[in-house]
Amino acid sequence: MTQITPQDGFAVVTGAGSGLGRALAQQLCAQGFTVVGTGRRAEALEETAALCGGRFDAVPLDVSDFDAVTTGFAEMTGRHGPLALLINNAAVYPKRDMLEETPDRFWHSMKINLGGVYACSWAALQDMAPRGKGRILNVASYADIAPLPASAAYSVSKGAQRILTRALIADLFDRFPGIVISDWLPGALATGMGIPDGLPPDVAAKWGVKLALMRDAGLNGTTFERDMELLPPRGLKSKLKDALLLRRPKPRRL
Amino acid sequence: MTSVFDTHWDAIVIGAGMGGGTLGRALAEAGQKVLFVEKGAPGLRSERNGLTEVFVPEARAARGLWPDPLHVSLDGVQTSFFAPLGSGPGGSSVFYAATLERPERHDLDDLPGQPHPTGGWPVGFDEMAPWYDRAALQFRVHGTPDPLSPEAPMPLEIPPPLREAEAALTDSLRAAGLHPYRTHTGIANVEGCENCLGRKCPKVCKMDGRSAGVEPALASGNAHLLTGANVIRLHTQGNRITSAEVRIDGEIRHLRADRFILAAGALHSPRLLLASASEDWPQGLANRSGCVGANLMLHVDERFALWPKRGTPDSGATKAISFRDFYHREDMRLGSVQAMGIRASYGELVHFLNRMFDLRGQSHLRTLSRPMAAVAQVFLGHAHLFVGLMEDFPYAQNRVLFDPTHPDKLSVTYTLSDELRTRRRAFRKALRRGLRGHRHMFLSMTPELNWGHPCGTLRFGHDPATSVTDAGGRAHDLANLWVADASFMPTSMGVNPSLTIAANALRVADQILKDRT
Repeated sequence: MTQITPQDGFAVVTGAGSGLGRALAQQLCAQGFTVVGTGRRAEALEETAALCGGRFDAVPLDVSDFDAVTTGFAEMTGRHGPLALLINNAAVYPKRDMLEETPDRFWHSMKINLGGVYACSWAALQDMAPRGKGRILNVASYADIAPLPASAAYSVSKGAQRILTRALIADLFDRFPGIVISDWLPGALATGMGIPDGLPPDVAAKWGVKLALMRDAGLNGTTFERDMELLPPRGLKSKLKDALLLRRPKPRRL
Repeated sequence: MTSVFDTHWDAIVIGAGMGGGTLGRALAEAGQKVLFVEKGAPGLRSERNGLTEVFVPEARAARGLWPDPLHVSLDGVQTSFFAPLGSGPGGSSVFYAATLERPERHDLDDLPGQPHPTGGWPVGFDEMAPWYDRAALQFRVHGTPDPLSPEAPMPLEIPPPLREAEAALTDSLRAAGLHPYRTHTGIANVEGCENCLGRKCPKVCKMDGRSAGVEPALASGNAHLLTGANVIRLHTQGNRITSAEVRIDGEIRHLRADRFILAAGALHSPRLLLASASEDWPQGLANRSGCVGANLMLHVDERFALWPKRGTPDSGATKAISFRDFYHREDMRLGSVQAMGIRASYGELVHFLNRMFDLRGQSHLRTLSRPMAAVAQVFLGHAHLFVGLMEDFPYAQNRVLFDPTHPDKLSVTYTLSDELRTRRRAFRKALRRGLRGHRHMFLSMTPELNWGHPCGTLRFGHDPATSVTDAGGRAHDLANLWVADASFMPTSMGVNPSLTIAANALRVADQILKDRT
């Protein structure tokens, strides 16, 4: 098992001003990592900083501002050295009925939830690819499978984000097996974006941090839901083969 | 600093692979201002990819692979596939297994009892030997001398110790009367070496056209690498090349130098000369002999699985062992045998079967590859894969094709000769006899051509009527054009071409430096 340690470099958590992002930042700091937390609201980041202690570097940044992301990441690596881990956590969930939504606002959500993941991953890879080492964990969602009403922008952007994970792997994995990219579905959380009786974010963050710090090449392209691997759907042929060989594919557990 | 396009270079090297990288380094270290013009992307040193069947040209280029398929007319059957060709600093050699074997005397010389197919190379074995020695040192070749060779061995570093299974296999081959030795391999023993056979490696242990050529050349401060630059034409005035026309970022530019060295590989170098046909040179540049692109040779790969004796521990695939017991048998030029360094994995077998069906124009049988591979893997799981590299002879009709309406299309025509089939049968018979007592199995039904070993398409020679360059590597017809890749070989020898390409590139570099006045 290849484990990321603070000696490998610093971590970036986007959307660290609240909810899951804050909890992820706190726990990474507690494990000795220098964490750069980004978010649009400086004061929210300061609150996170107060909870994290000295190893948290608050960088106000809007992930939909691609130029700001590019310069922001260049400054971070200039300040903290190699980037070991990026957790793409920042997202918005505007609940608007289709007829009330506007194309501009729809597109702006896409720019945050999809464009932001691309921009941050791109910027992180500028540092990771030349070293051939790195870890990107994308906080993902089921929203695309059966879109809820009043959730078009979220469903489409989060679905596309999971395709982006696969597309990045298609481009990178054979060349840079030391760069590991995967999806994590934290489930419904008791956060501003989530539901009142959801899981407390610090409970989910324990799994997220554990998964984020695993850099086995075998994790590339996997999806974990909460603390359990979600195996890709198997076709009839594979199922038949499994049955004949008395084999049952076993999901990994955190 | 003036731009590369405004600079008048001492030498422009077209293609930064095994030949170009080695030659460019020698020139740069002698103080020449050298420009490498490379079609491929610079890539990142951290990349670890191997060859792939991915068909998206841009994705292939990003991986340092030749972007387009090779179109082959094989015995009249049209087919196309991705040949194992690199494109980028180091060329194909960044993917090679670093086998750097010196040929036998009879590969180069016309000997009593061992007549040479072309009457002998214009530069004989004794004249080449010091260049092989220099190449062996530069590429940090390790191994043990071939016990059958009467020649003085080239300087070899001490190989890493044999693993238990390799030692057992060596012993049992020896007991069968064979003469195994440690494969001559250009891998420096550095800590944490990954034995990256068949793929790129971030480490600098594997000595290839990049790590032992382009990179040291750039480090000398005298060389510059221009990537993403596709040379489409050479322009001449009288008997001199004046400029290389390149397409870079969609723009046409011109590069100027005193000397131009062609090292784009045996499939590409002749195409550039044919593409440069003009009123002065209607048959293409340096082609008064008609030999540009002709005499294409490939090795015939005779792959077989060899099972270790019962009770031998399994310590993984080996590429440590070679033997030359069947190199020349019954008055026939056959070739060397070496462990391939890979296991008969499912993926390898599928790839191998797909290629076999494609080359016979039976692509519809590809559906059988997977089940066949699954069955074969069960049988072959613990076997070592070996390959016999059988020499291919030059024939004018086997050649690189050039179509002015599709100047970028990579295309060849090749016919298997009866003589080749006869020698192949003899090779298999000799192997079968020699391996008696060892469980083994041949893995090919028909002759498998090695598309990673093309050579001969700009052969060197004394006679301008039958060769493209003189013995020194300079074109008979042009005063400042030189050839430094596998194209120069009049015959394909019974060993891997890489060391010979490197040795010759060093020799041609020396000729160029002496020519400077």
